Amino acid sequence: MSAVAALRTFAVSPPARRVHSLLRHTRSARILSWVGFVAAWQLVVPLLPTDLVPTPSEVAVFMWNELRMDTVAPHTVYESFSLSFQRLAVGLFLAFAIGVPLGLLMGMRRWADWFLHDFVVVGLAMPSLVWALVAGMWFGFGDLAPVVTVTLAAVTFVVINVAEGVRNVPKELLDMGGAYGVGRYATIRHVIFPSLMPFFFAALRYGLANAWKGLVLAEVWASTEGAGWVIKFWYDAHRSQGIVGYALFFIIVAIFIERIVFGRLSGWVFRWRPSDDRRAPEPEPADRDEPIPAAVSAATPGRR
Amino acid sequence: MATIKVQDLRKEFVTDTSTVVAIENVSFEVGGHEFVSVVGPSGCGKSTLLNILSGIESATRGTVDITEGDRKAKLGYVFQSARLLPWRSVIDNLLFVQSSRGPQVRARCERYLDMVQLSHTAKQYPGQLSGGMQQRVGIARAFSIEPDLLLMDEPFSHLDAITARSLRRELHVMWQETGKTVLFVTHDVSEAVELSTRIIMLAKGGRLVADLPVELPFPRDPASDAVALARADLLRRFESLDLLAT
Amino acid sequence: MQTKLRLRPPPVSAAPGGDERRRVERRRRWLWRIAGYVFFISLWQFTSSFLVADFIVPPPAVILAEMWDIIASGQVWVHFGATLRTIAIGFAVAFALGSATGLLMGRSRWWEAFLSDWVMATLTTPGLIFALVTAMIFGLGPTGPIVAVIVTSFSYIAVNVVEGVKAVPRDLTDMARSFGRSQPQILRHVYLPFLAPYFFTATRYGFSIAWKIATLAEVIVGTAGIGFMMRQKFQEFSMQGFLAWVLLFFAFALFLERVVLQRQMKHVLRWRPEVAR
Repeated sequence: MSAVAALRTFAVSPPARRVHSLLRHTRSARILSWVGFVAAWQLVVPLLPTDLVPTPSEVAVFMWNELRMDTVAPHTVYESFSLSFQRLAVGLFLAFAIGVPLGLLMGMRRWADWFLHDFVVVGLAMPSLVWALVAGMWFGFGDLAPVVTVTLAAVTFVVINVAEGVRNVPKELLDMGGAYGVGRYATIRHVIFPSLMPFFFAALRYGLANAWKGLVLAEVWASTEGAGWVIKFWYDAHRSQGIVGYALFFIIVAIFIERIVFGRLSGWVFRWRPSDDRRAPEPEPADRDEPIPAAVSAATPGRR
Repeated sequence: MATIKVQDLRKEFVTDTSTVVAIENVSFEVGGHEFVSVVGPSGCGKSTLLNILSGIESATRGTVDITEGDRKAKLGYVFQSARLLPWRSVIDNLLFVQSSRGPQVRARCERYLDMVQLSHTAKQYPGQLSGGMQQRVGIARAFSIEPDLLLMDEPFSHLDAITARSLRRELHVMWQETGKTVLFVTHDVSEAVELSTRIIMLAKGGRLVADLPVELPFPRDPASDAVALARADLLRRFESLDLLAT
Repeated sequence: MQTKLRLRPPPVSAAPGGDERRRVERRRRWLWRIAGYVFFISLWQFTSSFLVADFIVPPPAVILAEMWDIIASGQVWVHFGATLRTIAIGFAVAFALGSATGLLMGRSRWWEAFLSDWVMATLTTPGLIFALVTAMIFGLGPTGPIVAVIVTSFSYIAVNVVEGVKAVPRDLTDMARSFGRSQPQILRHVYLPFLAPYFFTATRYGFSIAWKIATLAEVIVGTAGIGFMMRQKFQEFSMQGFLAWVLLFFAFALFLERVVLQRQMKHVLRWRPEVAR
């Protein structure tokens, strides 16, 4: 509705209808739901028989104190998150170092696909809880168990997406290069690599999501520091505003990574796309929480 | 100006249940400043023939020699769809297929881009161009490697009639100016009559049924009686083939 | 002329007939597959006998024996039963709530704006948070895991149903309306067939999420169930027991998803050409 049209509606409608038409906007729905939710939460909690559910104001105060580094936990929120991110980075690096060669092999050679396929599917479907506990039993408390968990939780996503990407390199462009006698190096650099990019993005996105969950669990059971461990600390201390507050920190970080990091990066990498939407295209790989059949269909060689 | 010698060419495809013959004992020779059209209905093995000539596929039997003097000829290829790398700019797409680098090579690419009147799009990505413009980039790319022989696989079949018409004219001018040998595959009889100096007719099953010179003066007006007669004659020949086949 | 990148299958040349080729191919596939299993199991065996202690990487035979013990002693029924009950109750509630929410959000932009932030928030929150919060509120016992299952799988179901409602083609509903079909008829003959695959995706996703969150919650507060046993084995530092339970869990989840769910799905979706094959 243009501004003039809106003004005209205002001028003629009686106040009640004006309010009604305002409420019909989707933005008011959004505001209403936020206000309503927070208000209901704040008002209902004191009526509950338990005092273990925090009110929004308690959570807000907690988060503010954490951000001011005023905390009873042994580490500040900055220290914990930066430690977790370091573990995540090392683990993801290892996952790509192992997963990319394996994925290339599986995409290019059918025997490798037959040889490894079932194990990759099992890896995709494995709950990250299992990786966290196994790594905890193997490596005890320290940095190794979380890092290994991250690698194990992410590596199969990398393998399956890279393999699928190799199978989807457009044949007509390869033929075109072949017809013009373009060399091997230029073909890899300018045809194969760019067409793999969407699949690398998918690998990173899904691998990261799964690895993050695994990391938190590994820190809960097999570490004495890190963001996951601090959540456990608040649980043991019976401070539920700590858990909810940390959950909100997690969500903020997740949104930051998704919108800013991935959004910017894919906008730059896929700047050649004609559409306005330059987010990484979704090549329909195994999804973030992996149901087994989806993983199977993503892994089954399609274009053979 | 290249020479093509095709001798007893045969191509079979083995599928899960049967063996399909795509090309059966085809022989012909092309040389000099010719514009040769290979015409036939869909599925008669035209594209397969081109793929073998360009080395994308190998023949089951027979020989193909494409020479320029006493060396192997250089080929330029225009595909049915433009087949541009979507992630590289127009000028980079031309540079991608060059065998050498350097300012002269770049200048040459820009010259051919100018020839198809697209120099203003050099820095754009293919996705920002219309289908006709993309196909013109494909044609410029083929000319830009200064090939001895141009292979074209139904390059205008995906375009609307108006764009195709103006591109045909453009192609004809480029062929005359550069003096290249062109082998042009099409299912469109009028297109073949309008452009070529010679027409090779392929029938279903990949048999070569006729090899006809087209001796009409250029420029050919598609609406003129002479062109219309030639077109009708060609279509009649195809019809009589179908009668024999059934 | 041709770059020798082996990214596509070699050209089919003079090969024997198609049937023969396919048989050879299938045999090769199975050989490689079996080779994969043999290689993996012998690698495991080798690691456990020569490289590290048995309690870190127990030999395959020991794990198998442990699995057999679990089945023979009847423990498997007790704990799988407990977990399944949690999932069944939680999932049924989540399905009803999620479908209703999804339909509401798919049909009305206002309700979509009202609810979408909360659905997205539950999707992005790590399952651990729900497991811990419900554990604190409900304490030891089965209630916490059930609530955790409801909250987490609810949003997966809602999201898929919303997608489904939006995918129902406008031209078909318009067609039905222009022929004067009634609202229930349109719902039955246009909406439902289009929603069916989304309901199944929702079920599959929701179900696999439910499995994970249920075991996770049991690890924290369970008094029975697969997750409870995993924790126990973890605390006893019994690698063979832990792996035996994980493998059983896997076999069971695979069976439920592949056999039970997929067969149902094929039946409902038989009108789709790619399914009917």
